[in-house]
Amino acid sequence: MADTMATAGAGSSGTRSGGKQSTNPADNYHLARRRTLQVVVSSLLTEAGFESAEKASVETLTEMLQSYISEIGRSAKSYCEHTARTQPTLSDIVVTLVEMGFNVDTLPAYAKRSQRMVITAPPVTNQPVTPKALTAGQNRPHPPHIPSHFPEFPDPHTYIKTPTYREPVSDYQVLREKAASQRRDVERALTRFMAKTGETQSLFKDDVSTFPLIAARPFTIPYLTALLPSELEMQQMEETDSSEQDEQTDTENLPLHISTDDSGAEKENTSVLQQNSSLTGSRNGEESLIDNPYLRPVKKPKIRRKKSLS
Amino acid sequence: MPPTGLEPARMNRKKGDKGFESPRPYKLTHQVVCINNINFQRKSVVGFVELTIFPTVANLNRIKLNSKQCRIYRVRINDLEAAFIYNDPTLEVCHNESKQRNLNYFSNAYAAAVSAVDPDAGNGELCIKVPSELWKHVDELKVLKIHINFSLDQPKGGLHFVVPSVEGSMAERGAHVFSCGYQNSTRFWFPCVDSYSELCTWKLEFTVDAAMVAVSNGDLVETVYTHDMRKKTFHYMLTIPTAASNIALAIGPFEILVDPYMHEVTHFCLPQLLPLLKHTTSYLHEVFEFYEEILTCRYPYSCFKTVFIDEAYVEVAAYASMSIFSTNLLHSAMIIDETPLTRRCLAQSLAQQFFGCFISRMSWSDEWVLKGISGYIYGLWMKKTFGVNEYRHWIKEELDKIVAYELKTGGVLLHPIFGGGKEKDNPASHLYFSIKHPHTLSWEYYTMFQCKAHLVMRLIENRISMEFMLQVFNKLLSLASTASSQKFQSHMWSQMLVSTFGFLKSISNVSGKDIQPLIKQWVDQSGVVKFYGSFAFNRKRNVLELEIKQDYTSPGTQKYVGPLKVTVQELDGSFNHTLQIEENSLKHDIPCHSKSRRNKKKKIPLMNGEEVDMDLSAMDADSPLLWIRIDPDMSVLRKVEFEQADFMWQYQLRYERDVVAQQESILALEKFPTPASRLALTDILEQEQCFYRVRMSACFCLAKIANSMVSTWTGPPAMKSLFTRMFCCKTCPNIVKTNNFMSFQSYFLQKTMPVAMALLRDVHNLCPKEVLTFILDLIKYNDNRKNKFSDNYYRAEMIDALANSVTPAVSVNNEVRTLDNLNPDVRLILEEITRFLNMEKLLPSYRHTITVSCLRAIRVLQKNGHVPSDPTLFKSYAEYGHFVDIRIAALEAVVDYTKVDRSYEELQWLLNMIQNDPVPYVRHKILHMLTKNPPFTKNMESPLCNEALVDQLWKLMNSGTSHDWRLRCGAVDLYFTLFGLSRPSCLPLPELGLVLNLKEKKAVLNPTIIPEVITGNQETAINPSGHAQLVGFQNPFSSSQDEEEIDMDTVHDSQAFISHHLNMLERPSTPGLSKYRPASSRALMPQHSPGGDGTPLTKPQWGMELARKGTGKEQSPLEMSMHPVATAPLSVFSKESTSSKHSDHHHHHHHEHKKKKKKHKHKHKHKHKHESKEKDKEPFTFSSPASGRSIRSPSLSD
Repeated sequence: MADTMATAGAGSSGTRSGGKQSTNPADNYHLARRRTLQVVVSSLLTEAGFESAEKASVETLTEMLQSYISEIGRSAKSYCEHTARTQPTLSDIVVTLVEMGFNVDTLPAYAKRSQRMVITAPPVTNQPVTPKALTAGQNRPHPPHIPSHFPEFPDPHTYIKTPTYREPVSDYQVLREKAASQRRDVERALTRFMAKTGETQSLFKDDVSTFPLIAARPFTIPYLTALLPSELEMQQMEETDSSEQDEQTDTENLPLHISTDDSGAEKENTSVLQQNSSLTGSRNGEESLIDNPYLRPVKKPKIRRKKSLS
Repeated sequence: MPPTGLEPARMNRKKGDKGFESPRPYKLTHQVVCINNINFQRKSVVGFVELTIFPTVANLNRIKLNSKQCRIYRVRINDLEAAFIYNDPTLEVCHNESKQRNLNYFSNAYAAAVSAVDPDAGNGELCIKVPSELWKHVDELKVLKIHINFSLDQPKGGLHFVVPSVEGSMAERGAHVFSCGYQNSTRFWFPCVDSYSELCTWKLEFTVDAAMVAVSNGDLVETVYTHDMRKKTFHYMLTIPTAASNIALAIGPFEILVDPYMHEVTHFCLPQLLPLLKHTTSYLHEVFEFYEEILTCRYPYSCFKTVFIDEAYVEVAAYASMSIFSTNLLHSAMIIDETPLTRRCLAQSLAQQFFGCFISRMSWSDEWVLKGISGYIYGLWMKKTFGVNEYRHWIKEELDKIVAYELKTGGVLLHPIFGGGKEKDNPASHLYFSIKHPHTLSWEYYTMFQCKAHLVMRLIENRISMEFMLQVFNKLLSLASTASSQKFQSHMWSQMLVSTFGFLKSISNVSGKDIQPLIKQWVDQSGVVKFYGSFAFNRKRNVLELEIKQDYTSPGTQKYVGPLKVTVQELDGSFNHTLQIEENSLKHDIPCHSKSRRNKKKKIPLMNGEEVDMDLSAMDADSPLLWIRIDPDMSVLRKVEFEQADFMWQYQLRYERDVVAQQESILALEKFPTPASRLALTDILEQEQCFYRVRMSACFCLAKIANSMVSTWTGPPAMKSLFTRMFCCKTCPNIVKTNNFMSFQSYFLQKTMPVAMALLRDVHNLCPKEVLTFILDLIKYNDNRKNKFSDNYYRAEMIDALANSVTPAVSVNNEVRTLDNLNPDVRLILEEITRFLNMEKLLPSYRHTITVSCLRAIRVLQKNGHVPSDPTLFKSYAEYGHFVDIRIAALEAVVDYTKVDRSYEELQWLLNMIQNDPVPYVRHKILHMLTKNPPFTKNMESPLCNEALVDQLWKLMNSGTSHDWRLRCGAVDLYFTLFGLSRPSCLPLPELGLVLNLKEKKAVLNPTIIPEVITGNQETAINPSGHAQLVGFQNPFSSSQDEEEIDMDTVHDSQAFISHHLNMLERPSTPGLSKYRPASSRALMPQHSPGGDGTPLTKPQWGMELARKGTGKEQSPLEMSMHPVATAPLSVFSKESTSSKHSDHHHHHHHEHKKKKKKHKHKHKHKHKHESKEKDKEPFTFSSPASGRSIRSPSLSD
């Protein structure tokens, strides 16, 4: 399979590479890139079952592929710069792809597809003379999905990291202190930001900035925010619920008897919260068992009723 | 006084359970209510009702029904058009915009107006004439069907629309409507007989938008689409005879939850709240089981519905087979504090289903039975659910509340019996409102009434045992259910009505005990008992000499005669003694069992059989007494002030196992700031077996003691090390453990301790820096990530603690408060508050508890001069659209600001809100808060007190609040607080000396300025015809057939009012007297002093007291100069008055009324004179002649 691809690719690109070698290195680079892209397009076409293709269409596809890859690069760069980094990370690429409407989940499978073609190494122009450096350790071999003509891994010491930890902060007091001040800083920054960007109220007429209060804004339905637990709390509850359920038993002897009642009620409720979304469904299921007038279907109007109502 | 109205009440007691005599000449058997259009946009309702009635007298030609607000289009009786008159005197209580501004006058007129439409007196706003074609039919006592078409447009009361202004259809917006009101208020939304005693069966139909649900009473028979399929009609049938007042409705896009334990129970809530609803109602079935078990009676209705709605009128409202709750009771499993409160509300409403809805009452004076029983069984539920400690604590709390209220206001009467309306028979002469009707009652009074009712039920239980008590309830219920199943024998239905007599008879039948003395003491009579106890130990006789005194002369008290339990804890054990409290015996000798002995190491047996080791070193060596308790079971409604030594209180706190005793000793220890008290309190705080509420109050007591001992206090601030030990990390004591609220007991303690600690003060009267840092650290290190429960209440209390730590700013010659001169401690506090308040915007807490606390704290900072006093912030939080708790907190701050800064603008803003706010509860609450924290009171000079304000408030009570009984009574409360009973002192005398009495077709002197005879001359006063004149003047209904309803109280009170003003006239200190124009002298002078019977009717002491008051007052030179002007016409008056003539016909019967009384008055006149001399207190407390013992007692003695 790989062979067929190779021939198809080499047919179109091989000839051109020879003639244009005299141009300057930049052109050279572009040409080489374009040639490689053409090879890729050709191989993909072959993979898709084409036996031959018109030059114009191959050119068009190449152009498209080039723009697509350029766009990935551009966006990825933007994303990484947005987060104040210089090197794009994998997640930047992923976000880019998602943004461009590409289903990232399908990528690994695609990469490992069986009928995959491997592109032959581009003709080596002047092989850069790598200064023989001190080799340290064994270079890692390429994993199977990286073609062998790709550059070798650099020496292990350049990328393998042996992290040296500072003594982990295990002192409880420091941890708490840190957590507390961190949270406080975040809260303060956040509220200050909100206060700066929105309307504020102040307790002092002469100074509106030292203690800015985010202006009170009435809600259309005030009870919803007041009663419903925030998502954060819901999340917390789910996390703590399972772990601490068993502790319930030792609170049962409290004089305040709600605890006992609560335990039952809470179990009830957690299941409620989980089933919440499927509640309407489950109610339909219960309907057959429960005879409640509010669950009965609404009747169609009767002709007779018309008179009595009017 | 309408004799018709009072008949049933009196009859009940006399005639007995022969029963119920309907005040109406017909019996209602069935009513159809059909609402076929509800428009949320316009807030309107269109529908009809059809009442099926059977005449009970042959000549029935008028049918009176209740209806308010409704526009009535058409009335038909048996398909014949019927004429009708609509007259509602309560719309505007005092007509003619007379310049009457005294509350006495208003209250009487208001009571008369309510009587005039009172269904229990057979009256109503709507009077329908039976067409003459049907007279024959009526004579045969045949059935009449009254069909009334009506509509309601933008109802201001009775039905409340909640329509959020967002995009979308009404259902998507969560728009809903529900019925609400105080007592019988059904007449606000459909014509009916709005009485608790007129039972009938019901057919209810509501056509609503297809996306909505209509919840109402009884069984949902079917739901049918309309022809266009866009609406559906809910058909309800209620076959159990029910009073109209127990009919309710709630329509909205409700989420439906069928109770998983009881399928006949359905819960409804607003969209998105279903998870909360599930959790909140998951407990309800246990309440059902409990009540059914103790009452050995099934829940009387075939179904039960709970509806949770927004902008609720009250938290809990019970109606036949359904209850309407505030949506704010809903909570998730993470909320600790709200859980018991909500469960209490659920249980309360369910208790009222049995007693209040299913069993109704015969008349208003029987209300106490229903409230008492439902409150009592609710108490039993509390005992079972929260334990005996909680129950006893609650009883103590309720007892303290009622005692405080009665001592303050002069008594709550459970079973008022009204005589002929004479003043001496007025059972509530100490009050500024009438207690003849629920609708004239102050809300606070009614709350206290309910409280007293259940406490009295508990007293009855103490007397006859719980077993008998429950048997009585069961008997009432089974009688009622038998009656309710008699579908076609409507005369049987009166068995479903409870009366005081019936209830008492049932008790005596079941228990065979005579509880009449108890009833007489607590039910037929108002007031509580006030004991003062002290003791001495007689070593020689080994006898405890106990002295128990009573104060039964102060207002709100009564004399107690009968058994009283005293528990004495001695070294040898605890002994109960029952003393007989009699008229003259104050001293009681109680023999002691143990000789005083020390050094013998022996355990001391306690009341509950427990034996404990005690350190007896603190004891008095000569006495074996550890502690003494008077009435430990709270079997008397009383206040006890008992004197015993500090060590006895300390022993009591440590070793007495009853939480009430512990609570009492904590209160007493406040007066003993000694190291021993400190130790006792600290020990209690640490004792985990001790009831958490006791420990909580120990915190506050400890703070007080620490402050009293500030100079000798050693060690860290009180409670600090204790808190550290209990709640902070072992390794780093300045950091609090991450929150774990699994043990509610310690949760409550953890919440409370910092709040109490913040009350600590150092020698400079500042909160110690150490304490503030400590609280700030608690806030800083608060970590709730691992907690199963929300910490919103905890954080809110931390803010409360910060607020508690604030002390008044040191002000240098009233400088303006700016940031620069902000105290550094306050800066820290303010920083926390700012952060908390801002975080609430992003991550709101449950019920916005934190915002509420922040707002309160800001007000505290303002009040203490750290932050410029400014209501703007509060006003923005008080706007409609904020959560109700926030609004109330903000409004409270504005009310406080209004008081402190005497701001007219803010007062106007509040008054405007009282009139215009969309939420009835908020309006009510503002009035309530203004009453509790008034900008000024009647004896206070204030720039706010001016004529415009008086007019405004008067208008508010008179006509502005006619759609809401509770609000109107709230306005009356406020008016009373601000101006008292008589004419507000800031008012000038009325400009018009003359008024036209159209009825008599002549001009008379304005009754408000009828001059009294010279003060010195006690013998002459206004003669009867003088006030007879008044009657005609003031009774706005005299044109109707209610002439006989003229209230004699009115006469008296107005008379007092006049005499008051006459005195004012003579003492020209009256402000604004200059406005008085002597022009009146040109007219007919009023009928003044007596022709034949010159008996003076005015209370003589009046003149005396007022005279002193008058002269005592500072007189401005201007006013002094007015004197001659004023006296000139006066002399004319006094002369002219003698030549007056008797007035006309319609006052005759008053003379008859009067005659008997005149004698008393005369007899006691001189006595009063002397008494009045002894009274140094404010004479205006007697501004009502109807108030005060001195007037009542003589008539009683006769």
